[in-house]
Amino acid sequence: MRKIKKMLALTLATMMLLSAFAGLASAETVIKVFSNLPDRTTGQGFVEQQLFDAYMEANPDVRIEVEALQDEPYKIKFSAYAQGTEMPDLLMVWGMPGFLDEVIDAGLLAALPPDLGDELGFIPGTLDGFSKNGALYGLARNTDVMAFYYNQKMFDDNGWAVPTTYEELLALGETIAAAGIMPVSMAGGDKWPLGIYLTDLLVKIGGPGVNGRLYDAVANKDFNTPEFLQAAALMREAAVRGLFQIGFETADYGTAKNLFTNGQAAMFYMGGWEMSMATDPDIDPEIRDNIRMFIMPVVEGGVGVATDIAAWNGGGYGVSANGAQREEAIKLLTFMFHPEGWNKIAWENGVTMTAQDFSAYGTGEETPVQVEFTLAFTSATSVSGTPIIDMGTANFKNVSEDAMQEVAIGVLTPEAFVQKLADGCR
Amino acid sequence: MIASNKLALVRKAVLWSVLLVFAVIQLFPLVWLVNFSLASSNEMFTTGLLIIPRQLRWDNYEKAFVSGNFMAYFTNSMIVNVLAVALVLTLSVMLAFAITRMRWKLSGMVRNIILLGMMIPIHATLLPNYVIYDRLRLTDTLFALLIPYVAFSLPLGLFLTCGFMSSIPKEIEEASLIDGCGIYRMLVTIITPMLRNALVTVSIMTFLNNWNEFMMASTYLRSARWKTLPFSVLEFTGLYSSNYAIHFAVMALSAAPVVILYIILNRHITKGVALGAVKG
Repeated sequence: MRKIKKMLALTLATMMLLSAFAGLASAETVIKVFSNLPDRTTGQGFVEQQLFDAYMEANPDVRIEVEALQDEPYKIKFSAYAQGTEMPDLLMVWGMPGFLDEVIDAGLLAALPPDLGDELGFIPGTLDGFSKNGALYGLARNTDVMAFYYNQKMFDDNGWAVPTTYEELLALGETIAAAGIMPVSMAGGDKWPLGIYLTDLLVKIGGPGVNGRLYDAVANKDFNTPEFLQAAALMREAAVRGLFQIGFETADYGTAKNLFTNGQAAMFYMGGWEMSMATDPDIDPEIRDNIRMFIMPVVEGGVGVATDIAAWNGGGYGVSANGAQREEAIKLLTFMFHPEGWNKIAWENGVTMTAQDFSAYGTGEETPVQVEFTLAFTSATSVSGTPIIDMGTANFKNVSEDAMQEVAIGVLTPEAFVQKLADGCR
Repeated sequence: MIASNKLALVRKAVLWSVLLVFAVIQLFPLVWLVNFSLASSNEMFTTGLLIIPRQLRWDNYEKAFVSGNFMAYFTNSMIVNVLAVALVLTLSVMLAFAITRMRWKLSGMVRNIILLGMMIPIHATLLPNYVIYDRLRLTDTLFALLIPYVAFSLPLGLFLTCGFMSSIPKEIEEASLIDGCGIYRMLVTIITPMLRNALVTVSIMTFLNNWNEFMMASTYLRSARWKTLPFSVLEFTGLYSSNYAIHFAVMALSAAPVVILYIILNRHITKGVALGAVKG
């Protein structure tokens, strides 16, 4: 009887061990990704999903679970995750001090191998926003260049020329408005486009060194310089002289974009990520095929030249320091940004300009506006880096965005505007 | 005689035209929703109030249904909302009875504390609640939605049922007790049916509020298992701009069940609000 019991125990123990091993063998690794690209079928969300699918196909034992929310809910959920214990492994992060500093200081992001950026062919300087104290915490997924999109056919038909100075731009705005068309469609309701407009003006007024002075201004809580006062005054002047559409301060992104894509506005002030308008089947071909761009023209008396541009690297990815799959997430990140990955797919689909060298992927079928953006970026003599609104804390972002809107509509004078920016730093 | 007839006719005409204006104002959003859901995204920002689509885009609905995971999210929404309504009704009736009919020291205080819940903004509770759910391992479960939905709907539910219950004559309860009815039976078979109008109002208000709720759902849920209908809209939201036409289609589909419910229960709602509001 005892023998039988022993045999039974042994058999059971063996079975348990075997099943445990079997369990181990079949265990799949689940990488949790938290993204700000809810639409997985178009644009950057499409590129991201393609890369995840390719990674899962190459690694059958890995499953990638994507949770995607829009920017604002994303930030709220990010704060929630930061306080809980279930931080996803791969995270979308903004390479801007306003967001990243707090996240790094809280120890939420893992340091990446220091040479990773160079190994993956990132353009020098594009990862500055993702680094702190010499350590690398993330990889940028695109290079954003701000520009005026314009409808070339409309310009040609009316005999309008692309302005080369700010004064010419304002005069052109008046001419266009007189013809019964909205000159520039501006998403002033979202506020941040105005913040970038001001940064653009600062670049043209202050020239290549303006980026450092912006950082100093935020650090010293002092914006009372002729540069800032002039930039604020010029932005206000644009609104007064009717460069932006009526009610621009309440127009959101979609409204502003659609005013342009419907032909109601001659120009649209927005970033390079909108270059995909030129391939959007929903836009009337007469407008779609005639979309071109120009960079903010020079300001008379300013130091900045035409090739000093407002450009930065905003969105990117970081790896959670406390995630269950830290190493796997770094592997996935490396895979996403291998030369044939994000860079190639994003460029070939005309989705965005990446932060890596994309010159090798020219298909010859790029849209004119895609080519113009590339030229503007590759021939730039200096770039602005992070726009001013994203240089400080989250509070500074809120206050400065409000201030941008208020100075544009004339509620704040330029002097009160710089004071409000300073208050926002406190 | 003729003059008074004419006067009545004029009065009627004025009344009808005022009501007609209100009806148009009330119905316009729905017409607008359906109208835009059949256009293409690019047609939306024209100058006219309504659009005459170049081509009726029924495929917006097809995309909303298929790519928006409509059925899965709809089922989740139904489960969460039906459970939330059932719990709010049960708790409201029982609490209202305990507060208005039973004599105990802290009844007034308990009622006031629960009613204070009406003043707490949802956003203030998001992060603390998340931390609690995280500790209890409740995130990404049905309870992560059910608990806050019931908690936020209960104050209004209690307010309305309390008001109604105090208008029911005590003699009815006394009569039923004399006839040998127990407290629970009395509550279920006598009191609850008399509260019908109030309960319908509470149901539809709870349902409406929670049907469209997104902030808590997006914070407390992670996987698709319990995601509710507002997530369908998100599936078509791009980084900077979105496919608005499909948004309209998803919203029209999401609004349909609530509109139908409202039409069915409409008769009771006005009564419920009006009667419950004056008896506090």
